[in-house]
Amino acid sequence: MSVDVSRMPSLDLSKATNLTHVVFRCGRSTQWVTTTVKTAKSKNLRHIAVNSFAINMASIEGAVHREWEDLDHLLDQLWTSHSIRPRVIYRRGTGEDDGDLASRSLSKLTKRGVVDMVEYKCRSGRR
Amino acid sequence: MACSLPPEILDLIVDHLRDKPSALKKCCVLSKSWVPQTRRYLFAHIRFHYTEHSIKSWKLAFPDPSNSLAQHARTPFLCEQNPSALEDPDVGCWIRTFYRVESLHVNALGRSYGVSFVQFHGFSPTLRSLTLTHTSTPLQEIFNLICSFPLLEDLGLTTIVPKRDTDGWNIPSTSPKLTGYLKIKGGLRSVVRRLCDLPSGLHFSKIRVSHDNEEPTLTTDLVSRCSDTLKYLTISHYASGAFFFQLR
Repeated sequence: MSVDVSRMPSLDLSKATNLTHVVFRCGRSTQWVTTTVKTAKSKNLRHIAVNSFAINMASIEGAVHREWEDLDHLLDQLWTSHSIRPRVIYRRGTGEDDGDLASRSLSKLTKRGVVDMVEYKCRSGRR
Repeated sequence: MACSLPPEILDLIVDHLRDKPSALKKCCVLSKSWVPQTRRYLFAHIRFHYTEHSIKSWKLAFPDPSNSLAQHARTPFLCEQNPSALEDPDVGCWIRTFYRVESLHVNALGRSYGVSFVQFHGFSPTLRSLTLTHTSTPLQEIFNLICSFPLLEDLGLTTIVPKRDTDGWNIPSTSPKLTGYLKIKGGLRSVVRRLCDLPSGLHFSKIRVSHDNEEPTLTTDLVSRCSDTLKYLTISHYASGAFFFQLR
């Protein structure tokens, strides 16, 4: 199932000055996540998680892939400047070589080893 | 053999077994003097299917409210598949026997019209957590219910689709401080607007919200209202809403 969420508007977190944990549950598009994270001004922010388990990473391509690259860049900067280690929960596709797709979408973070990539598994044990 | 232990020792033993129902049940039949302490934990978590028949059965089993298991119920006190029983005047008396409930979850799934919560108003002064699911009750009535619990901290509102949202809105004169978590899924627009009107303000430390494509400023407004206290924020957009509660 493909859902167009490219028009997903961002949030303004600038007033949440005591925020420590932010979790985004997103679909294919991550543009709104990137723009929302940019508004966060909390000095206490320690944890950012992106849960994209609702989508198949194999379906990320084109413009959507660029959005993931932007997010990758931003989270990489946050690691450098604030030592915030992001956590990404993803779902594998059905193919055997899909395992690295999530890592490829966040290449900077995975190359530096500063992201916790967690594969989502349904409670029933099915992928 | 009568098993008489000093009450503080008995409390220690039973407290130690609080998460072991099978052991508690054995303690319960060991001695009559052990019954009150063990019931405190055995019946703290009651899943109650709220039907006319179940209420009658409960009343038959516990005719004396002072000796009812209702006094041990803490959380969760779950009402499901509400029938017309909620409008029964006797329900008000019955519900007030659960005066120590700390968490209330009302699931009105299956009702095509709004469930009346009038009889629930302030039934447990110690209520700290309230979750309403699948209800089309007018928001005024929902918020009157919320404001009837002075110690309320946590609020969950899932799929709130009020039938008469256009009715007049009277801001309650008092409201709880709401310092715990807020979970909203569905019906964001109308619920958030009313929440922001509450006289004591919003002081949530955790918010889980389904982001609304149409009115993004509502979520931002919600975050701003809790700016001093908010520490944990989970934002889910509509497309992944179906997975909202799966991970935790």
